[in-house]
Order: sequence, then structure tokens, then C-alpha cells
Amino acid sequence: MHRSALDLGVGFFVIVGILAFGWLSVKLGRVEFLAGQGYVVTADFPSVGGLKPGSTVEIAGVEIGRVEGISLVEYQARIRMRIRNDVKLQEDSIASIKTKGLIGERYVRINPGGSDRLIPPNGRLREVEAPVDFEELLSKYIFGKV
Amino acid sequence: MIRYRQMGFVLAAFLLLVVARDAWAGPPTEQLKGSIDRVIQILDDPALKSDGRVRERRAAVRKVANDIFDFGETGRRSLARHWAARTPQEQEEFVELFADLLERSYISKIELYGGEKIQYAREQTDGDFAIVYTKIMAKQGQEVPADYRMLRRGDRWLVYDIVIEGVSLISNYRTQFNKIIQTSSYGELVKKMKTKQEEFLEEEAKGRGSAKN
Repeated sequence: MHRSALDLGVGFFVIVGILAFGWLSVKLGRVEFLAGQGYVVTADFPSVGGLKPGSTVEIAGVEIGRVEGISLVEYQARIRMRIRNDVKLQEDSIASIKTKGLIGERYVRINPGGSDRLIPPNGRLREVEAPVDFEELLSKYIFGKV
Repeated sequence: MIRYRQMGFVLAAFLLLVVARDAWAGPPTEQLKGSIDRVIQILDDPALKSDGRVRERRAAVRKVANDIFDFGETGRRSLARHWAARTPQEQEEFVELFADLLERSYISKIELYGGEKIQYAREQTDGDFAIVYTKIMAKQGQEVPADYRMLRRGDRWLVYDIVIEGVSLISNYRTQFNKIIQTSSYGELVKKMKTKQEEFLEEEAKGRGSAKN
């Protein structure tokens, strides 16, 4: 009788441990159970240096979606973003690829516009700003002078 | 006989089309280039180069800018969410102040122009929108990419945004305007813009006064 209570206790802790482990891997792996929720918006950038699927999309620092995929279309980078359903993007919103801090990870920042036309699901964000490539800028002004 | 003439006509039309397509880089580039060439002409004009005629030169540049720029669209997009809340009079006043602000910020830079070449790299049209990619070739060999975002209005293509080295003009002002309106008010923004413009005019008047003495 006494033994089985101990077994039960151990079993309980093992199950709790497995659940915690599962939760951790979902959190760390950024697995979305609710994938497919929200709507898709694409944007074409001349370069997305450093952006990856899973990078965040933000307005005013608040996450409103994730980058779902990046592909090459006509030698430009096309990114697919999944945006939360409750966030509407105006047609003249500007998407820029920014860096968190000086050398932090890349994310997409959206500067909301004022147009009354909204970007429909599967629509395209026309206004984009490519990331500023500091190395390129530096080399331009270091090696540029002849 | 008739068939030959018809064929000749078709051939001529075809040739004309090919030649025309080669000659035009597309209306957006064509119209943009026309305006930029006119500005360069004004800046290179020796008659307008003297200090005493700064005002005249600036007025001439502004006139060209008014023809190719859609300041209304730039203003609307820069004010973004706060645009719709304004009355038509406020919107009109704002566009005027904004055009003055752009003139103030850029005219002095434009006047530094020293014969840099401008290369029209390519053009991308998408319905009523177009992007003309250009490169400003500085004398030291740097290339500064400048993309002009244009919008079709009737048969005219007007610039509403300039993206230099990846940084958009509208995005820059949108962030600043939004910050000012959020932390104080729209009235404060207009007040700020007005005082800046007055200061600029005063300084200009002073500058002219000292140039005469």
C-alpha cells in the first residue's frame, strides 16, 4: 500500500516533467499550434540580410505577426508575413527591416499609414525600406575616396 | 499590290513601335529625368549663380519641384493616421507647411550640387505606381542609390516619396510627426513648423541684408 503511493508520486512527477519539457520545446522552438490563423501579407525587398522565417513583425514594438517564409522572386527577396487578424494594415503602411540594438536580431517594423484602403489577405505591402547595411556604408566611405 | 502596301504599313508601324520603345525608358523615368535635368540646368546657370540671386534660383527650383512632386500625397502619407482627423482647411495648411519644410531641408543640399552624374538604372511599374531607381555618382566614386516612388495622376507621373540609401523620406517624417502628435498635439506640430519657417525667412532676409552691405 505504502509502495504504490510512492509509485504514484513518482509517476505524477514524471508526467509533470514531461509536460514541462513539452511546453519548453514548444516555446523555444516557436511552434505555433494555431498556425494558419491570421492573414498573409507579402512584401518585396531588395535585400533582407539576416531576416529569418520566424522573425517578428512589429508595430510600435508590439508583436503583430511573424515572418513565415522568404523566397527569391526576380532577384528580390519576397517575404511572407502572417499578421494577426485583429490588426489591419493600411495600404500605405511602410515595412522596414530593422535591427534590435546595434548587432541584435533582425525584425520587420511596420509604420502604419493613414489610407482608408486596407491591405487584403494575400495582398502586397508596396512601401518597403531595405535594411541599412552598415558594412556597405562603411566601405563606401572608407574605400570610396580615391 | 494592296497586300504589299498593307505589309509595308505593318512593318513601318512595328519599326516605329520598336524605336519608340527604345527611345522611351517609360513615362515615369522620362518625366523624372526631364525635371531633374531642368533643376540641374537652373543650378548650372551662371547668370543665377551669384549670391544676390539665391532667392530667384530657389524659386525656380521650387517651381520645377511643384511640377514633379505630389506634395499633397507626401503630406497625407507622412501624417498617416492623423490625416483623416483633420479638416480640409487644416490639410491644405499642413501640405503647404510641409512643402516649405522640405524646401528648407533640401534646398541647401541641392545647392551643393557640383556636377554629380545621375544614372537612371531601371524602372518598375505596377498599375498606377512606379519606382525609378537612380544612382547619384559622386566625384569620389561613391554611388548613392536614390529611388523615386511615383504615382500616376492622369498622364502625369508624380513623385511622392524618395528613398535614399534605403531610407524613406515619408517613413522618416511619419515617425517624427507621430511622435510629436502623440506626446503633445497636432496644434503643437503646426506651431513648430510655423516658427521654423518664420525663423528661416528671417535668417534668409538677414543673409541677404549682409550680402548687400
